Amino acid sequence: MRFWITVCIGAVALLGGIGIDGAFAVKPEDNRATREKGKRIYERSCIFCHGSEGKGDGPAGWYLGRYEAPRPRDFTTESFKFRSTASGELPTDQDLFRTVTQGIPGYMPSFAGLNEEERWQVVSYIKTFNPSFKEEKPQPLPLPLPPGPPTDAGIEHGRKLYMKYGCHSCHGDNGYGDGSESLKGNLKDSRGLTISARNLTERESLKNGSTPRDIYRSVMTGLDGTPMPSFADSFAGKEKDAWDLIYYILSLSQDRR
Amino acid sequence: MVSRGQSAVLLWIALALFGLVAAVLPDDAQALPAFARKYNMNCTACHTAPPILNTFGQRFLENGYQLPGTEDGGITGKKKLGDLTLDDVNNYVSFRMVGNAVSNWNFKQQNPPGTDAGVAVNKTEFTFPESFTMFTGGTLTKNVGFMVELGYDTSTGSANVERGFVSFNNLLGHDVAHVRVGRFDVGAFYSYTTVRQQLNDVGESLAGTGPNGAACGSGTFNPCTINRMGLTPSALATKFFGLYDRTGNYLSPYASSLFNSGGEMGIDVHGRPFGDWFLYQVGVLNGANEPTGDSNKGKDVYGMVRFDYAKSRDFSASLSGFVYLGHSNAKVQTQDDVNWNRYGVSGRATYKMVDVYAAFAVDKINKTPTGVAGQFDSTATGLTVGVDTYVTSKTMVSLRYDNLDAGGMINERQSSSFVGTQVKHFLRNNIAVFVRNDFNLRKADTGSTAAQNLRNAFFSGIDVIF
Ligand code: HEC
Ligand code: HEC
Repeated sequence: MRFWITVCIGAVALLGGIGIDGAFAVKPEDNRATREKGKRIYERSCIFCHGSEGKGDGPAGWYLGRYEAPRPRDFTTESFKFRSTASGELPTDQDLFRTVTQGIPGYMPSFAGLNEEERWQVVSYIKTFNPSFKEEKPQPLPLPLPPGPPTDAGIEHGRKLYMKYGCHSCHGDNGYGDGSESLKGNLKDSRGLTISARNLTERESLKNGSTPRDIYRSVMTGLDGTPMPSFADSFAGKEKDAWDLIYYILSLSQDRR
Repeated sequence: MVSRGQSAVLLWIALALFGLVAAVLPDDAQALPAFARKYNMNCTACHTAPPILNTFGQRFLENGYQLPGTEDGGITGKKKLGDLTLDDVNNYVSFRMVGNAVSNWNFKQQNPPGTDAGVAVNKTEFTFPESFTMFTGGTLTKNVGFMVELGYDTSTGSANVERGFVSFNNLLGHDVAHVRVGRFDVGAFYSYTTVRQQLNDVGESLAGTGPNGAACGSGTFNPCTINRMGLTPSALATKFFGLYDRTGNYLSPYASSLFNSGGEMGIDVHGRPFGDWFLYQVGVLNGANEPTGDSNKGKDVYGMVRFDYAKSRDFSASLSGFVYLGHSNAKVQTQDDVNWNRYGVSGRATYKMVDVYAAFAVDKINKTPTGVAGQFDSTATGLTVGVDTYVTSKTMVSLRYDNLDAGGMINERQSSSFVGTQVKHFLRNNIAVFVRNDFNLRKADTGSTAAQNLRNAFFSGIDVIF
């Protein structure tokens, strides 16, 4: 018994060492020191999926989707899905920061457990894998505020647009991700792996965020590297239409609650 | 071997089960165990195939159920107990129900063993579920983790705390020292982990009486006659025949024990102070091989080191070795104390979705009591080699070879070599059905006792985690 008492006292003494660090929320300058710190974080937190050279070839990578999509992002060559920028462009720092903070439902955990400074540091580091980040200055597309609360007429109009623009062919008539293209297995990502269209009725599974503005961003920018196209051109100058469509998509998950 | 007609029937039963389970499940079954729910992740982020962990899952475990490189327990576990809702509880509690729905045994039973020619027994049993476990784990606050696992074993009808411990993480710096206190799976960080196997342990079947006809089992210092041997990883098992715990209960030669025990009471420290490539683990256990309490004179101590390579090219490898020193942690027939030690090495490599692992251990009783001198072999070894791989996104094939060079009482001990094969099909991420067959490779060696006569064992079962 005495042995265990000693042990417990020892454990409590050690515990005193666990402090609370109130690190603070400033974006550090993107310099060598920042990237070095980012590298250290990357090698503890990200390497098992994204690989030491950022090629998306960490040892845990294949198990995620097995023979299907997704695999961890290859930062050296692949395009990015979750951007505020036009299709074909790199993401902004803010976009990368958001992905690291929110995680990707199903496939990548939220790293909100790293403090904000650490998350910025790791963002600085992953940008070093792709030299284009040095040359290009990605600019976000405008992301307007919703014009007002949804209306029944607007949602009904959104449903028509959903059919008109062919969303149903991938996402299914009722948004369950069971459109004909999806069911036939025709949808592939840039690695040639089978990918399914998102089930839009499950809001918590949206990878790029689930607020109205998040969904607006997904539809306008598209998810590069997947069959999900950008609809920025289709909705150019038709902002009201765009919001009707977004509200319709949101109504798909609301019905189920 | 199972006869043609019989295997057809078994196959039909297996297929019917398959269909039944598939039909009963609602289409959008989204049941995921607790950690996956908590982090909004698929099981496959941490598991190659539950319950086996991939490199990312291993580091999550080592970090006290916090994401690798973070100390996020304070963020995801900030609710007070009084504020918990049912949804939150969902984030902590998981269940696993696993077992062989149909088992078919083919062995020769001799009664008493070694004396008659024996009767061939071909037995089919329905046993599902063999075990039901409820586990809850997570973080109480930043850097304080916990895990409780309650198991219900349907064959013995008893519920047990299989594991229950608290961990204090990241003491003295990030990943420098993590301390576990309580009843924990000792070899949790070994390259080949006891509680994470594709081929489930199948215990031996005991006759209930010893060779002398007297009742064996609890507290009698009387060996049990083994009707049919167990199918467990030889490297992790006890390996000795004729060993008893300190109260005289027969220790199963097939149960995992010492460093490879699934649950022992003690305190344990591990960490990676020099980066990801190296892990150390040291600990002290009651080591009495008793379910509770500590009747032995001294503690058992152990140390393990592990080297890792997990960087890129879809490849990982690890190599570990341990020394476990027992201190009067078992008794022999003459009721004398012995010090039972184990030395082991194991390795594991994964490439894409091929997972190869091996473990070898030498068990040694360091001084044979004079009462059993000449009758007791004080050295035993076990070797286990296995491979698991996905052949499709939903189907996993496993192969495992076990060789046990048994020790202990020379007239009781049974060496064995087995090959286990299994095909497991995941109907959902968390629901799988499997068929398995284990073959005895020592057929020519009819041996002197019944246990050696296990020819073939067929299983068809279900594994559900929710
Ligand atoms: C459990 C595996 C895993 C871990 C750990 C992980 N990721 Fe990911 N990550 C993924 C997967 C899988 C994807 C691709 C998901 C998809 O395409 O739907 C991804 C994608 C990304 C993307 C690209 C998003 C886009 O717009 O295309 C970024 C950036 C990213 N991860 C950063 C990180 C950082 C930084 C870390 C460490 C702090 C990290 N990841 C840790 C699995 C992981
Ligand atoms: C050619 C097939 C296809 C068409 C057409 C299509 N999508 Fe998609 N969509 C996809 C795929 C595939 C994904 C999932 C990509 C992934 O998982 O990375 C997706 C994802 C989404 C997402 C989820 C983003 C997230 O956060 O997870 C939304 C929202 C969405 N699509 C809306 C639409 C709307 C609205 C339309 C019509 C205007 C549309 N899609 C047309 C294939 C398509």
